[in-house]
Amino acid sequence: MATRLTTPCSSSSTNFSPSSSFNNEAKLFTRFISMPRKYGLSTWVSHIHSKTHARKHFLLNSSNEHPLNAFSLQDGLAGNPLAKERIEPPGKERPSIPMSEAEKEESTLSITVVGASGDLANKKIFPALFALFYEDCLPENFTVFGFARTKLTDEELRNMISKTLTCRIDKRENCDDKMDQFLKRCFYQAGQYNSEESFLELDKKLKEKEAGKLSNRLFYLSIPPNIFVDVVRCASHRASSANGWTRVIVEKPFGRDSESSGELTRCLKQYLTEDQIFRIDHYLGKELVENLSVLRFSNLVFEPLWSRNYIRNVQLIFSEDFGTEGRGGYFDNYGIIRDIMQNHLLQILALFAMETPVSLEAEDIRNEKVKVLRSMKPLKLEDVIVGQYKGHGKGGKSYPAYTDDPTVPKDSLTPTFAAAALFINNARWDGIPFLMKAGKALHVKRAEIRVQFRHVPGNLYKRNFGTDLDKATNELVLRVQPDEAIYLKINNKVPGLGMRLDRSDLNLLYRARYPKEIPDAYERLLLDAIEGERRLFIRSDELDAAWALFTPLLRELEEKKIFPELYPYGSRGPVGAHYLAAKHNVRWGDLSGEIYE
Amino acid sequence: MAALSSIHCRSYSYSPFLFSSSSSSINGQQFQRINFSSSGISKRFLPAKLFSQSRKNSYHGVVLMQDGAVAMPVNPVENEASFKKVKDGLLSSITSAEELKETAGFDVNKDESTVIITVVGASGDLAKKKIFPALFALYYEDCLPKHFTVFGYARSKMTDAELRNMVSKTLTCRIDKRENCGEKMDQFLKRCFYDSGQYDSEENFTQLDKKLKEHEGGRLSNRLFYLSIPPNIFIDAVRCASMSASSANGWTRVIVEKPFGRDSESSAALTKALKQYLEEDQIFRIDHYLGKELVENLSVLRFSNLIFEPLWSRQYIRNVQLIFSEDFGTEGRGGYFDHYGIIRDIMQNHLLQILALFAMETPVSLDAEDIRNEKVKVLRSMRPIRLEDVVIGQYKSHIKGGITYPAYTDDKTVPKDSLTPTFAAAALFIDNARWDGVPFLMKAGKALHSKRAEIRVQFRHVPGNLYNRNFGTDLDRATNELVIRVQPDEAIYLKINNKVPGLGMRLDCSNLNLHYAARYSKEIPDAYERLLLDAIEGERRLFIRSDELDAAWSLFTPVLKELEEKKIIPEYYPYGSRGPVGAHYLAARYNVKWGDLGAEQ
Repeated sequence: MATRLTTPCSSSSTNFSPSSSFNNEAKLFTRFISMPRKYGLSTWVSHIHSKTHARKHFLLNSSNEHPLNAFSLQDGLAGNPLAKERIEPPGKERPSIPMSEAEKEESTLSITVVGASGDLANKKIFPALFALFYEDCLPENFTVFGFARTKLTDEELRNMISKTLTCRIDKRENCDDKMDQFLKRCFYQAGQYNSEESFLELDKKLKEKEAGKLSNRLFYLSIPPNIFVDVVRCASHRASSANGWTRVIVEKPFGRDSESSGELTRCLKQYLTEDQIFRIDHYLGKELVENLSVLRFSNLVFEPLWSRNYIRNVQLIFSEDFGTEGRGGYFDNYGIIRDIMQNHLLQILALFAMETPVSLEAEDIRNEKVKVLRSMKPLKLEDVIVGQYKGHGKGGKSYPAYTDDPTVPKDSLTPTFAAAALFINNARWDGIPFLMKAGKALHVKRAEIRVQFRHVPGNLYKRNFGTDLDKATNELVLRVQPDEAIYLKINNKVPGLGMRLDRSDLNLLYRARYPKEIPDAYERLLLDAIEGERRLFIRSDELDAAWALFTPLLRELEEKKIFPELYPYGSRGPVGAHYLAAKHNVRWGDLSGEIYE
Repeated sequence: MAALSSIHCRSYSYSPFLFSSSSSSINGQQFQRINFSSSGISKRFLPAKLFSQSRKNSYHGVVLMQDGAVAMPVNPVENEASFKKVKDGLLSSITSAEELKETAGFDVNKDESTVIITVVGASGDLAKKKIFPALFALYYEDCLPKHFTVFGYARSKMTDAELRNMVSKTLTCRIDKRENCGEKMDQFLKRCFYDSGQYDSEENFTQLDKKLKEHEGGRLSNRLFYLSIPPNIFIDAVRCASMSASSANGWTRVIVEKPFGRDSESSAALTKALKQYLEEDQIFRIDHYLGKELVENLSVLRFSNLIFEPLWSRQYIRNVQLIFSEDFGTEGRGGYFDHYGIIRDIMQNHLLQILALFAMETPVSLDAEDIRNEKVKVLRSMRPIRLEDVVIGQYKSHIKGGITYPAYTDDKTVPKDSLTPTFAAAALFIDNARWDGVPFLMKAGKALHSKRAEIRVQFRHVPGNLYNRNFGTDLDRATNELVIRVQPDEAIYLKINNKVPGLGMRLDCSNLNLHYAARYSKEIPDAYERLLLDAIEGERRLFIRSDELDAAWSLFTPVLKELEEKKIIPEYYPYGSRGPVGAHYLAARYNVKWGDLGAEQ
């Protein structure tokens, strides 16, 4: 099976041949050095790792403006079993970077998790960092700092973190060793989020670890939005890197409407430049979302289909099978539209619908995404359905209503479900409904993109069949979770003497084809932030456009106090979603009794 | 999973509601069912008064009616009521009330019609291996009418019991339906009779006619002759059958197997001779490849999936490959083959037919005549084949693992100096708006490394591929490919480029696939079953019309003649190998890579 190319980081590369690749590397190396830099703070040389740590050359990728090189460089390191098995060793594409000990010693990376005692940090960030470490994706000199208000010793932090670390199923060996090594790199600093002194202290500690080497610093803000700006101010003033880069990863929510988001951006920009801000949308880190562009742009068979001429509608579906479960305090202030639609689903929509970018570089892709967002028709209230789950007894068990959650006001109108029909007023998509649906406490947990194609014009088989073949149109499904899969529903003939048509799937089930565990979205995004790859992060103007689309609607919903349609916990959601779909002549693909249900 | 209807007698095991009915069905019901559907089935099957029915309507009727009929199995006892039900089911599709009446009129006759299938050349190999088993399978699946009889006819002297004995050795039941198999076999064998006679003797056929009449017992008689005999006696047998054993009041049809001549002239002569005794629509030229499941599916894929519609032209398709290979040689039976060679044996018929189906424009309807019209148009648009666009090969002996495999010319039935190709590859072009410049590559061979038949559609590269810039490898080579594997292991898959899961950006070629064995656990019927049933039902879609045959021969005859006149020496390739390398050079000339010889599989 021919494969091509480029895996970043990852374990030892078996086909690595230093002597033969030297020239190549040298060339690449030169290119790097001569590359224009955005940061002006560091020299490229210093980013580069030594060949004695052949597994870690990926550091080279910290170039911000060269995903191009980043890709191919990374390839050399592809050493996971899959890669070995399926990649032809393309000596040329596996450069590595030999360089002197001196060079490698000079750069360090500190990742400071601000809000280290929080849930996200424990469940996602530290495990993702460990996974990156395990896969040899982190640079040689890296340090992880936890920062929070709680007083903790380093030991206590390590203890806390270690509970959530796991190794991938297919990589058990050395797991404990690796864990120990990782934990030894973890430190803790307690302090107030708005205290410049605390950050000064942190800076001191960071400097200790950096020991005078080139310092690159990544701050992961895993804290409530109201203290974002304080932390950014303190970190920027007191704990910025003097000679390397400083980047800040921010999690949603990015405001709750155009104004607050604009305000947040403005505040952040007082202390940070645009390219220091990494707004994370972890859905963009999902494997199949990444694959979306690959599918579109590297398969000719999809090219002619990707427009209003062939596509009848697109559905973006997100559902969770649990409610707020006692932690609705934050959620109640935002609601499902802000929590899921305005960011995750809209981002996927933009990626799906964008024109072909000039290149795969972050700015080119984000430019195209913004164009989509700005072409969108304003959302009308009648094109949105909101719902809220109510209590439900099933099988002797009773499931709580949303308003049963003690952290939620009894009279809350916050939607836990929403469906919306969106339109893109451009030449490619005019008139095509993009339906979004997101909800909590539904019957399944799933996230998928469904593309329904038009009917076959003048279908020959229609004359002979009682059933309406126009309903049995082709459908392309990208299932993001669970069980990543791509499948294309086609009509085919049931084997046998008769002429009976059937819908089958041409499918690619990831689990079957790629037995390896698929990395968590956070791993990818953290790595990208470390490498300065901004493709999957949201730029300020994207964020503005996204809010501009949803803000008027959200305001109207709230001002008019629109009552959500109540639906039972664990159900398929309010029926209003079907009427919304029907209005635009669409049928939800996920509620059709097909086999993947 | 909703099935989209229109069910033949065969498919019921898939639909729960049908299953119940079939389990209790007896022949009578089944026959009725067939009868109902036969308003479309064929003119000849029906009493004369139905002949006026238009073909279009009749086809239209077939599928739907069968659907209705199968869905509501007719119980003989409540005949009236059930017929009404069926009628109701049909109302939507049948346009004229008159037609309905005719169908109803026919219903009265139902007990009076019989079908006799006479296998001429009953002691031959094909008959034993394919025809009798296919007939039994049809019987087992209740696809044959109530009053059917199978006659074996050949020169050897045999009793009925001997024939039954011979036939019984090759009958098997489908894997998924073992029950009652023995019983069913016995019942089937009781319907089998034998008559011996010369193929060119009208008296012998008169004798056969007498026997047939006995079995028909004065009912409406429909007769199907299956000529499983060497081509040189086709015409004699047709003459005798037509003169002395035609049905007096029903239809008479003749199934003819290849070879249909060996070039334009001999084929035309054969057709002319056949037409002395038969009408065009009595002649059923069988090409059993057209009866293969996935070949049938080809049209379904094309015409009932929007996603393939824009792709099906020179704009997106770079080349099409039609590949046939066998993993054995002539094995001592090369006498017939040596006279024809692989081009006539496989390419001119099977592969060319598939090509025509693949490349045809959308027909007006699924009617046999509409489809065959479109196929003829493709064949007639084809550029004459030039000698340099053909590579021929012949296998030579080869020793592998201590076993010696013989050369073609080691076959005792083959002349030592034979130049007959056992392998051929050819590049063909269709000079029409849809396909101008797209190479259609054919490859067929014996004694190759694998047994396979498939259609490969290679798509063009992605223009301005974004990913090309970032990858050293040439993504333009990793284009999409649609593969329809006809045998073995029926499957459809589409090769796509996707991202390897993981932190990097590494592309991989995966298959979106539909593996028939996994999706459809039932055994797929043999091509002969389908074709026999179609012949009985008068469905001509999968049979080759005379003008199609003419067009096919006129495409290949000049190059065949040139090959023979110039005594082109075939390129030798070892038994069990991948064939002569010449095929690669031929492909390379048209910038094609054979899809079946990649690293894959």
